Amino acid sequence: MRHMEKIRLRDSNIFRLICFVLAPLIIIIMAGQKNGGYYNGIVCTFGIYALLAASLNLVNGFSGMFSMGHAAFMAVGAYTSAFLTLAPQQKINMLPGLPEWLQNVQLPLLPALLICGLCAALLALIVAFPVVRFKGHYLAVATLGLVVIVRSVLDIEGDVTNGARGITGLPSSASIWLIFGVLVVSLFIMYRLLSSAYGRSLIAMRDDQVAAQTLGVNLTAKKISIFCISAFFAGIGGALWGHTQTVISGQFFYFNMSFKIVQMSIIGGMASLSGGLLGALFITIVPELLAPLESGFVLFSYPLPDLYGLSNIIMSVFLVVLIIYRRQGLMGNSEILLDTFFSKNTYTSVFKKDEYKHFAKACINLCQRKKKS
Amino acid sequence: MKRKGMYRFLALVLALSMIMVLAACGSEPASESAGDEPSESATVEPSESAEASGDVINVGALFNVTGGQASLDAPALNGFNLYFDQVNAAGGINGKQINVVSYDGKTDQTTCANNTKKMIDVDNVVAIGGLSDTNYALAAGAVAQQAGIPIVFSGATKPSLPDEVGDFAFMTAFGDDTCAYAAAEYVYNDLGLTKAYLLIDQSMEFTTTLADFFQDRFETLGGEIVLTDNYMNKDPDFSAQIDRYLADNKGAEFLFFSGVPDDAGVLIKQFRDKGVTEPIVSGDGFDTPLLWEVAGDQSEGVIVSTHCSFENTDAVVQDFVAAYTETYGNAPENAFAALGYDCAKIIATAIETCGDDVTSENIKVNLEAIESLKCVTGTISYTNGHVPDKTASMLIVENGAFSFIKEIVS
Repeated sequence: MRHMEKIRLRDSNIFRLICFVLAPLIIIIMAGQKNGGYYNGIVCTFGIYALLAASLNLVNGFSGMFSMGHAAFMAVGAYTSAFLTLAPQQKINMLPGLPEWLQNVQLPLLPALLICGLCAALLALIVAFPVVRFKGHYLAVATLGLVVIVRSVLDIEGDVTNGARGITGLPSSASIWLIFGVLVVSLFIMYRLLSSAYGRSLIAMRDDQVAAQTLGVNLTAKKISIFCISAFFAGIGGALWGHTQTVISGQFFYFNMSFKIVQMSIIGGMASLSGGLLGALFITIVPELLAPLESGFVLFSYPLPDLYGLSNIIMSVFLVVLIIYRRQGLMGNSEILLDTFFSKNTYTSVFKKDEYKHFAKACINLCQRKKKS
Repeated sequence: MKRKGMYRFLALVLALSMIMVLAACGSEPASESAGDEPSESATVEPSESAEASGDVINVGALFNVTGGQASLDAPALNGFNLYFDQVNAAGGINGKQINVVSYDGKTDQTTCANNTKKMIDVDNVVAIGGLSDTNYALAAGAVAQQAGIPIVFSGATKPSLPDEVGDFAFMTAFGDDTCAYAAAEYVYNDLGLTKAYLLIDQSMEFTTTLADFFQDRFETLGGEIVLTDNYMNKDPDFSAQIDRYLADNKGAEFLFFSGVPDDAGVLIKQFRDKGVTEPIVSGDGFDTPLLWEVAGDQSEGVIVSTHCSFENTDAVVQDFVAAYTETYGNAPENAFAALGYDCAKIIATAIETCGDDVTSENIKVNLEAIESLKCVTGTISYTNGHVPDKTASMLIVENGAFSFIKEIVS
């Protein structure tokens, strides 16, 4: 029997269904109406960043490592997808150094994504062996080094990557449905992974390495494998990003991109996949909301001058404040979003009368509490 | 625990004050160049009227006002706004006022692309102007081309850019080929120097292309590139390259740097500090006040091939300089200010030719018909394609400012 006072709105399955499943679905459908439109672009960007932030959380939040190298894996994914999805004629013009068999290959985007993920994971595998020996800050710096290395290779190997010019003309086949389809499948995989014994041992490793070892957790194997899995999803995210932009170049997969993803991860909450989603939402939406401030606005009938860069400052201040007052991020450890998406209860609750009663009680509770205070 | 809360609070106050100080330092150049007057034409109002029916025509301005490109794009935005302010003050175009919708690209590709979409979808602009770098131009251009909105790039200089984006893309500036050829010809013919040291920024399209064209023309004239070296944008230290040069410069008579503004001052300072005295030549990437701001006296004698010179006595140029100085309180910082102004003029001319039927398709057709339009940076015609045929101006740094040497037809 539940006590009346303990029923919270967020525990109600109906509320969760409406708030976290139906509302976003409606937004996505509405944005998806106009391909190439502004809102479509924002929602697609959110979808891709959500995938990137969630995959970074696998390493940063759940495994006790701090990697800043996501941009490098994105770059590998994006360039691989370019090699695979461009028309042979384009490749012959732009990338003369590619081997012939690769020049003649042209795949649709979906199978290409898998290969991109695998290539990124391969890079992670090669790099992981030396890198996972490091702890803490050293690992962070080593992964930054990886970003620099990848970018240098991309800029200098002109024959294969078209150098600093970048590759243009990627087919814009990353529709909103593909992005969110991939996102949902990836999140499902990550979610189930974390709920399994494998995931539990990762969390044990994060919390106390020595204790985990005594329980039989093979630290090295776990670190390397999670690094590769995270890179796999980062590669897919990078490929999707490349296809929404249609032009990729080494300079876009540099520190700025890496730091942005880390920022999303921290704001949302490192130890929670739902936190990654929230962080991505925050970073995508808030600068857009703050943009009108930059072009001069009227505050109490006093016209302020153009203050370009203001949204960056506000975001940075917010990040500092967050780290001081709520280090665990906005979501903390809560997995409410993914619990909602992937639990059967959410969807079957429509048919259960009890759930409606529960929802009603929770609403009443909320109103009563508001009235009291 | 009261103490913990106390420390947290102090930490917060300290952090916020640090940030405010940084913001005050950092935003000074931005607010200086944005001018003191609240620029009315830069407000973002979701347009009351659709594509130019009614009394207002919406024109988009996409510039990277913050980030690495700011020293080029902030003056360009000023020039752009200046032209439309003048037009609006004189009664608008065919009786309609122009509303400039300006967004900051933040020197970030995703932001550029998203903001272009925003201008087109939400603000219903009929044409877009802006951007000085090819990479961002490609991203924004792809969006504009797909939506059928003409986009005129103010400062981007890659000669094949309009071909790569599509038929809705136009350039205000000359191509990198014009810039580099002019530099090569001036150095070979006028200065008589035949042996070059080439230092190339490998991280960008613009710099590698410029260096290629320079080498091309210089060797055709009969010169020789005796030594080549590379670096990446934003490298803080060039001692490796300088040491290699000092060890054996193979008789190089001058140095050609193919770089962008944020490295310009640093390069010159470090090379000169270590005792390299040969003349330094560059393209329009070095057309920036950062040369003397960072390198001080060391920047004397640096030669730059760029879009225009403000000492040109032509009325068009001098009127522009006077108007800019009056509105923004300082002389135009570099040629990109003039390019922004010309970009606006080009768009305005095309809109005017449309008469009452202002649609994006008509504007594009009228843009292609522009011939011999007298602008601050030269005479612009699109009859030979979307890259204008223009002359380059050679400038030299004297007494902490650019002085005009001559114009070169290449």
